[in-house]
Amino acid sequence: MALLPKRVKYRKEMRRIRDRKATKGNYVAFGDYGLQSTESLWVSGQQLEAGRIAAQHFLKREGKLIIRVFPDKPISKKPLETRMGTGKAEPDYWAARVKAGKILYEIAGVTEETAKRAFARAAAKMPVKCRFVGRQVRV
Amino acid sequence: MHEKAPVLQASDRERIGTRYCKRYRDAGQLPAVLYGHGQAPIPILLESRDTLAHIHKGEKVFRMNFAGAKGGKHKDDGQTVLLKDLQFDYLGSTIVHADFARVDLSERVRTRVPIHLVGEAKGLKQAGAILMHPTAELEIECMVSELPDFIEVDIADLDVGHSIAAAAVKLPSDSMKLITDSHAICAQIVIQLEVEVAEATTATGEAAEPEVITAKKPAEGEEGAKDAKAGAKDAKPAGDKKK
Repeated sequence: MALLPKRVKYRKEMRRIRDRKATKGNYVAFGDYGLQSTESLWVSGQQLEAGRIAAQHFLKREGKLIIRVFPDKPISKKPLETRMGTGKAEPDYWAARVKAGKILYEIAGVTEETAKRAFARAAAKMPVKCRFVGRQVRV
Repeated sequence: MHEKAPVLQASDRERIGTRYCKRYRDAGQLPAVLYGHGQAPIPILLESRDTLAHIHKGEKVFRMNFAGAKGGKHKDDGQTVLLKDLQFDYLGSTIVHADFARVDLSERVRTRVPIHLVGEAKGLKQAGAILMHPTAELEIECMVSELPDFIEVDIADLDVGHSIAAAAVKLPSDSMKLITDSHAICAQIVIQLEVEVAEATTATGEAAEPEVITAKKPAEGEEGAKDAKAGAKDAKPAGDKKK
Protein backbone atom coordinates (compact mmCIF):
# COMPACT_ATOMS: atom_id res chain seq x y z
CA MET A 1 0.00 0.00 0.00
CA ALA A 2 1.26 3.46 -0.92
CA LEU A 3 2.34 5.90 1.76
CA LEU A 4 -0.03 8.74 2.65
CA PRO A 5 -0.52 11.07 5.64
CA LYS A 6 -2.88 10.24 8.50
CA ARG A 7 -4.21 13.78 8.96
CA VAL A 8 -4.09 16.84 6.73
CA LYS A 9 -5.25 20.41 7.15
CA TYR A 10 -6.66 20.78 3.63
CA ARG A 11 -7.69 18.13 1.10
CA LYS A 12 -6.35 19.92 -1.96
CA GLU A 13 -3.22 21.92 -2.57
CA MET A 14 -1.87 24.24 -5.25
CA ARG A 15 0.76 22.86 -7.60
CA ARG A 16 3.56 25.31 -6.70
CA ILE A 17 6.97 25.76 -8.31
CA ARG A 18 9.01 22.58 -8.73
CA ASP A 19 12.32 23.52 -10.32
CA ARG A 20 14.49 24.10 -7.25
CA LYS A 21 17.53 22.65 -5.56
CA ALA A 22 17.51 21.03 -2.13
CA THR A 23 19.06 22.98 0.70
CA LYS A 24 17.85 20.61 3.40
CA GLY A 25 18.06 16.83 3.50
CA ASN A 26 20.81 16.84 0.88
CA TYR A 27 23.37 14.81 2.80
CA VAL A 28 23.48 11.38 4.42
CA ALA A 29 22.51 12.00 8.03
CA PHE A 30 21.38 8.72 9.64
CA GLY A 31 22.82 5.77 7.73
CA ASP A 32 26.10 5.03 6.01
CA TYR A 33 25.06 5.32 2.36
CA GLY A 34 22.27 7.10 0.55
CA LEU A 35 20.38 7.38 -2.71
CA GLN A 36 20.35 11.00 -3.88
CA SER A 37 18.04 12.51 -6.45
CA THR A 38 19.77 14.64 -9.08
CA GLU A 39 16.52 15.99 -10.53
CA SER A 40 13.45 17.77 -9.21
CA LEU A 41 10.13 15.99 -9.53
CA TRP A 42 7.11 14.77 -7.60
CA VAL A 43 7.64 11.20 -6.46
CA SER A 44 4.41 9.40 -5.66
CA GLY A 45 3.84 7.30 -2.58
CA GLN A 46 3.52 4.20 -4.74
CA GLN A 47 6.89 4.82 -6.36
CA LEU A 48 8.54 5.35 -2.98
CA GLU A 49 6.99 2.16 -1.67
CA ALA A 50 8.04 0.23 -4.77
CA GLY A 51 11.60 1.46 -4.30
CA ARG A 52 11.55 0.51 -0.63
CA ILE A 53 10.26 -2.98 -1.37
CA ALA A 54 12.81 -3.51 -4.15
CA ALA A 55 15.70 -2.55 -1.87
CA GLN A 56 14.32 -4.35 1.20
CA HIS A 57 13.77 -7.62 -0.67
CA PHE A 58 17.37 -7.52 -1.85
CA LEU A 59 18.65 -6.75 1.65
CA LYS A 60 16.38 -9.37 3.23
CA ARG A 61 16.95 -8.92 6.98
CA GLU A 62 20.33 -7.33 6.59
CA GLY A 63 20.82 -3.64 7.30
CA LYS A 64 18.38 -0.86 8.12
CA LEU A 65 16.63 1.08 5.36
CA ILE A 66 15.51 4.62 6.11
CA ILE A 67 13.13 6.65 3.90
CA ARG A 68 14.01 10.35 4.04
CA VAL A 69 11.02 11.74 2.12
CA PHE A 70 7.29 11.45 2.73
CA PRO A 71 4.45 11.93 0.21
CA ASP A 72 2.42 14.68 1.89
CA LYS A 73 1.31 16.63 -1.18
CA PRO A 74 -2.13 15.77 -2.64
CA ILE A 75 -2.10 15.73 -6.44
CA SER A 76 -5.45 16.36 -8.13
CA LYS A 77 -6.42 14.81 -11.45
CA LYS A 78 -9.55 15.26 -13.50
CA PRO A 79 -11.33 12.09 -14.68
CA LEU A 80 -11.00 11.06 -18.31
CA GLU A 81 -13.30 12.65 -20.92
CA THR A 82 -14.30 15.44 -18.54
CA ARG A 83 -14.80 19.02 -19.70
CA MET A 84 -12.52 21.66 -18.28
CA GLY A 85 -13.76 23.91 -15.49
CA THR A 86 -16.23 23.24 -12.65
CA GLY A 87 -13.57 23.60 -9.99
CA LYS A 88 -10.49 21.76 -8.88
CA ALA A 89 -10.49 18.00 -9.34
CA GLU A 90 -10.41 15.42 -6.58
CA PRO A 91 -7.04 14.26 -5.16
CA ASP A 92 -5.72 11.33 -7.16
CA TYR A 93 -2.52 10.40 -5.35
CA TRP A 94 -0.01 11.66 -2.80
CA ALA A 95 3.47 12.77 -3.78
CA ALA A 96 6.70 13.88 -2.14
CA ARG A 97 8.27 17.10 -3.41
CA VAL A 98 11.73 15.92 -4.36
CA LYS A 99 14.24 18.60 -5.27
CA ALA A 100 17.59 18.02 -6.94
CA GLY A 101 20.07 16.88 -4.31
CA LYS A 102 17.51 15.38 -1.91
CA ILE A 103 18.41 12.08 -0.23
CA LEU A 104 15.58 9.60 -0.83
CA TYR A 105 16.77 6.52 1.06
CA GLU A 106 19.58 5.68 3.45
CA ILE A 107 21.04 2.35 4.51
CA ALA A 108 22.93 1.49 7.70
CA GLY A 109 24.73 -1.66 8.68
CA VAL A 110 25.68 -3.09 5.28
CA THR A 111 28.77 -3.05 3.10
CA GLU A 112 29.19 -0.50 0.33
CA GLU A 113 28.79 -3.15 -2.36
CA THR A 114 25.51 -4.42 -0.86
CA ALA A 115 24.19 -0.87 -0.47
CA LYS A 116 25.04 -0.07 -4.10
CA ARG A 117 23.22 -3.14 -5.38
CA ALA A 118 20.17 -2.48 -3.19
CA PHE A 119 19.98 1.16 -4.27
CA ALA A 120 20.35 0.22 -7.94
CA ARG A 121 17.10 -1.71 -7.57
CA ALA A 122 15.38 1.16 -5.75
CA ALA A 123 16.65 3.71 -8.30
CA ALA A 124 15.03 1.71 -11.10
CA LYS A 125 11.63 2.41 -9.51
CA MET A 126 12.20 6.16 -9.22
CA PRO A 127 10.96 8.70 -11.79
CA VAL A 128 14.11 10.79 -11.18
CA LYS A 129 17.76 10.20 -11.95
CA CYS A 130 19.57 9.11 -8.82
CA ARG A 131 23.10 8.56 -7.64
CA PHE A 132 24.77 6.64 -4.87
CA VAL A 133 26.40 8.74 -2.13
CA GLY A 134 28.26 8.03 1.08
CA ARG A 135 28.50 9.84 4.37
CA GLN A 136 31.03 12.66 4.55
CA VAL A 137 32.34 14.90 7.29
CA ARG A 138 31.06 18.43 6.80
CA VAL A 139 33.42 20.34 9.16
CA MET B 1 48.88 18.21 13.51
CA HIS B 2 50.09 21.81 13.93
CA GLU B 3 53.78 20.96 13.39
CA LYS B 4 53.07 19.55 9.97
CA ALA B 5 50.33 22.04 9.14
CA PRO B 6 50.10 22.20 5.36
CA VAL B 7 50.80 25.49 3.64
CA LEU B 8 48.11 26.97 1.41
CA GLN B 9 49.05 29.34 -1.38
CA ALA B 10 46.68 32.29 -1.07
CA SER B 11 46.12 35.61 -2.72
CA ASP B 12 43.73 38.50 -2.20
CA ARG B 13 40.43 38.26 -4.04
CA GLU B 14 39.89 41.55 -5.82
CA ARG B 15 36.46 40.85 -7.26
CA ILE B 16 33.65 39.54 -5.06
CA GLY B 17 30.21 38.21 -5.91
CA THR B 18 28.62 35.14 -7.46
CA ARG B 19 29.62 35.87 -11.02
CA TYR B 20 33.30 36.38 -10.28
CA CYS B 21 33.44 33.43 -7.87
CA LYS B 22 32.19 31.20 -10.67
CA ARG B 23 34.93 32.49 -12.95
CA TYR B 24 37.56 31.86 -10.28
CA ARG B 25 36.32 28.29 -9.82
CA ASP B 26 36.41 27.70 -13.55
CA ALA B 27 40.04 28.88 -13.50
CA GLY B 28 40.97 26.31 -10.83
CA GLN B 29 40.81 28.57 -7.78
CA LEU B 30 38.73 28.26 -4.64
CA PRO B 31 37.07 31.40 -3.20
CA ALA B 32 37.47 31.66 0.56
CA VAL B 33 37.30 34.16 3.39
CA LEU B 34 39.72 34.81 6.24
CA TYR B 35 38.52 36.37 9.50
CA GLY B 36 39.11 36.50 13.23
CA HIS B 37 41.28 38.17 15.89
CA GLY B 38 39.23 41.36 15.70
CA GLN B 39 40.40 42.19 12.20
CA ALA B 40 38.26 42.83 9.18
CA PRO B 41 37.41 39.75 7.10
CA ILE B 42 39.27 39.54 3.81
CA PRO B 43 38.13 37.61 0.74
CA ILE B 44 40.92 35.40 -0.55
CA LEU B 45 41.64 32.91 -3.32
CA LEU B 46 43.28 29.52 -2.84
CA GLU B 47 44.74 27.04 -5.26
CA SER B 48 41.78 24.68 -5.60
CA ARG B 49 43.44 21.33 -6.24
CA ASP B 50 45.89 21.36 -3.33
CA THR B 51 43.42 22.90 -0.89
CA LEU B 52 40.69 20.37 -1.62
CA ALA B 53 43.17 17.48 -1.39
CA HIS B 54 44.16 18.61 2.12
CA ILE B 55 40.55 19.17 3.18
CA HIS B 56 39.46 15.74 1.93
CA LYS B 57 42.33 14.22 3.93
CA GLY B 58 40.76 15.73 7.05
CA GLU B 59 43.24 18.55 7.69
CA LYS B 60 41.87 21.48 9.67
CA VAL B 61 44.83 23.64 10.62
CA PHE B 62 46.81 25.35 7.85
CA ARG B 63 49.35 28.08 7.32
CA MET B 64 48.61 30.78 4.79
CA ASN B 65 51.30 31.79 2.34
CA PHE B 66 50.67 35.09 0.60
CA ALA B 67 53.92 35.00 -1.36
CA GLY B 68 53.77 37.12 -4.48
CA ALA B 69 51.03 39.39 -3.12
CA LYS B 70 50.88 42.89 -4.50
CA GLY B 71 52.29 45.72 -2.34
CA GLY B 72 55.03 43.83 -0.51
CA LYS B 73 54.56 41.45 2.39
CA HIS B 74 50.97 40.62 3.22
CA LYS B 75 49.89 41.15 6.86
CA ASP B 76 48.53 37.58 7.03
CA ASP B 77 51.57 35.92 5.46
CA GLY B 78 52.49 32.84 7.52
CA GLN B 79 49.32 33.12 9.61
CA THR B 80 48.00 29.90 11.18
CA VAL B 81 44.36 29.39 10.28
CA LEU B 82 41.61 26.97 11.25
CA LEU B 83 39.05 25.66 8.78
CA LYS B 84 35.72 26.85 10.18
CA ASP B 85 33.13 26.13 7.52
CA LEU B 86 32.64 24.71 4.04
CA GLN B 87 29.98 25.46 1.48
CA PHE B 88 28.92 22.70 -0.90
CA ASP B 89 27.03 22.74 -4.17
CA TYR B 90 23.42 21.60 -4.23
CA LEU B 91 24.40 17.93 -4.59
CA GLY B 92 26.60 18.23 -1.52
CA SER B 93 29.70 16.84 -3.21
CA THR B 94 31.69 19.80 -4.57
CA ILE B 95 33.19 22.36 -2.20
CA VAL B 96 32.49 25.86 -3.52
CA HIS B 97 33.70 28.07 -0.67
CA ALA B 98 35.70 27.80 2.56
CA ASP B 99 35.86 29.86 5.76
CA PHE B 100 39.14 30.18 7.68
CA ALA B 101 39.68 31.78 11.08
CA ARG B 102 42.97 33.29 12.26
CA VAL B 103 44.20 31.36 15.30
CA ASP B 104 47.23 31.08 17.56
CA LEU B 105 48.60 27.67 18.45
CA SER B 106 47.97 28.32 22.14
CA GLU B 107 44.40 29.47 21.56
CA ARG B 108 41.40 27.39 22.58
CA VAL B 109 38.99 26.79 19.73
CA ARG B 110 35.79 24.89 19.10
CA THR B 111 35.72 22.45 16.21
CA ARG B 112 34.23 19.18 15.08
CA VAL B 113 36.30 16.02 15.03
CA PRO B 114 35.23 12.78 13.30
CA ILE B 115 34.73 9.58 15.32
CA HIS B 116 36.47 6.36 14.29
CA LEU B 117 34.87 3.19 15.63
CA VAL B 118 37.51 0.62 16.57
CA GLY B 119 37.06 -3.09 17.18
CA GLU B 120 34.51 -5.75 16.34
CA ALA B 121 31.41 -5.36 18.51
CA LYS B 122 30.37 -8.59 20.18
CA GLY B 123 26.70 -7.76 19.68
CA LEU B 124 27.13 -7.81 15.89
CA LYS B 125 27.52 -11.60 15.97
CA GLN B 126 23.80 -11.92 16.66
CA ALA B 127 21.56 -12.37 13.61
CA GLY B 128 19.93 -9.15 12.42
CA ALA B 129 22.16 -6.92 14.55
CA ILE B 130 23.07 -3.56 12.98
CA LEU B 131 25.61 -1.02 14.12
CA MET B 132 24.17 2.49 14.05
CA HIS B 133 26.23 5.62 14.63
CA PRO B 134 23.91 8.64 14.48
CA THR B 135 26.61 11.02 15.71
CA ALA B 136 29.60 10.74 13.39
CA GLU B 137 31.56 13.69 14.78
CA LEU B 138 32.01 15.38 18.14
CA GLU B 139 32.30 19.08 18.79
CA ILE B 140 35.12 19.74 21.22
CA GLU B 141 36.96 22.71 22.68
CA CYS B 142 40.72 22.38 22.81
CA MET B 143 43.99 24.10 22.03
CA VAL B 144 44.89 24.38 18.36
CA SER B 145 48.20 22.64 19.01
CA GLU B 146 46.50 19.50 20.32
CA LEU B 147 43.63 19.29 17.85
CA PRO B 148 43.24 15.58 16.99
CA ASP B 149 42.62 14.28 13.46
CA PHE B 150 40.00 11.87 14.81
CA ILE B 151 38.75 10.39 18.07
CA GLU B 152 38.79 6.62 18.47
CA VAL B 153 35.86 4.90 20.15
CA ASP B 154 36.29 1.28 21.17
CA ILE B 155 33.13 -0.71 20.48
CA ALA B 156 34.47 -4.21 21.22
CA ASP B 157 32.31 -4.57 24.34
CA LEU B 158 29.19 -3.13 22.77
CA ASP B 159 26.25 -5.52 23.02
CA VAL B 160 22.76 -5.57 21.52
CA GLY B 161 20.54 -2.85 22.94
CA HIS B 162 23.46 -0.97 24.41
CA SER B 163 24.85 2.33 23.21
CA ILE B 164 27.84 4.60 23.72
CA ALA B 165 26.91 8.19 24.54
CA ALA B 166 29.14 11.15 23.77
CA ALA B 167 29.87 11.63 27.47
CA ALA B 168 31.34 8.10 27.62
CA VAL B 169 33.88 8.80 24.89
CA LYS B 170 37.40 9.23 26.22
CA LEU B 171 38.93 12.37 24.75
CA PRO B 172 42.64 12.20 23.84
CA SER B 173 43.62 14.93 26.31
CA ASP B 174 42.27 15.99 29.69
CA SER B 175 42.28 19.65 28.67
CA MET B 176 39.72 18.95 25.94
CA LYS B 177 36.13 19.81 26.66
CA LEU B 178 33.12 18.15 25.05
CA ILE B 179 30.62 20.60 23.55
CA THR B 180 28.31 18.12 21.84
CA ASP B 181 25.27 17.06 23.86
CA SER B 182 26.52 14.44 26.32
CA HIS B 183 23.51 12.20 25.57
CA ALA B 184 24.19 12.07 21.82
CA ILE B 185 24.60 8.45 20.72
CA CYS B 186 27.94 7.68 19.05
CA ALA B 187 27.41 3.94 18.54
CA GLN B 188 24.48 1.65 19.11
CA ILE B 189 23.58 -1.91 18.17
CA VAL B 190 19.97 -2.51 17.24
CA ILE B 191 18.15 -5.58 15.98
CA GLN B 192 16.38 -5.16 12.67
CA LEU B 193 12.94 -6.76 12.96
CA GLU B 194 11.07 -7.86 9.88
CA VAL B 195 7.76 -7.28 11.69
CA GLU B 196 8.35 -3.51 11.86
CA VAL B 197 7.99 -3.06 8.11
CA ALA B 198 4.84 -5.14 7.91
CA GLU B 199 3.23 -3.17 10.74
CA ALA B 200 4.04 0.15 9.15
CA THR B 201 2.50 -0.92 5.87
CA THR B 202 -0.71 -2.05 7.55
CA ALA B 203 -0.99 1.13 9.58
CA THR B 204 -0.78 3.34 6.52
CA GLY B 205 -2.88 0.99 4.45
CA GLU B 206 -5.88 1.22 6.75
CA ALA B 207 -6.32 4.94 6.18
CA ALA B 208 -7.40 5.08 2.54
CA GLU B 209 -7.98 8.81 2.83
CA PRO B 210 -6.50 11.05 5.52
CA GLU B 211 -8.57 12.86 8.08
CA VAL B 212 -9.09 16.53 7.20
CA ILE B 213 -8.63 18.71 10.29
CA THR B 214 -10.41 21.78 8.92
CA ALA B 215 -13.36 19.89 7.40
CA LYS B 216 -16.73 21.44 8.33
CA LYS B 217 -18.92 19.10 10.36
CA PRO B 218 -22.61 19.19 9.27
CA ALA B 219 -24.91 20.84 11.85
CA GLU B 220 -28.14 19.20 13.03
CA GLY B 221 -31.08 19.79 10.70
CA GLU B 222 -28.80 20.47 7.78
CA GLU B 223 -28.21 16.79 7.14
CA GLY B 224 -31.58 16.18 5.45
CA ALA B 225 -31.11 19.11 3.13
CA LYS B 226 -27.60 17.98 2.36
CA ASP B 227 -28.74 14.46 1.49
CA ALA B 228 -31.31 15.81 -0.95
CA LYS B 229 -28.67 17.99 -2.54
CA ALA B 230 -26.28 15.07 -2.84
CA GLY B 231 -28.96 12.94 -4.51
CA ALA B 232 -29.43 15.55 -7.21
CA LYS B 233 -25.77 15.34 -8.20
CA ASP B 234 -25.41 11.84 -9.59
CA ALA B 235 -22.04 12.27 -11.21
CA LYS B 236 -20.21 13.10 -7.99
CA PRO B 237 -16.91 11.14 -7.65
CA ALA B 238 -16.44 8.65 -4.83
CA GLY B 239 -13.66 10.71 -3.25
CA ASP B 240 -16.22 13.20 -1.84
CA LYS B 241 -17.21 11.04 1.12
CA LYS B 242 -15.23 13.14 3.59
CA LYS B 243 -17.16 16.31 2.77
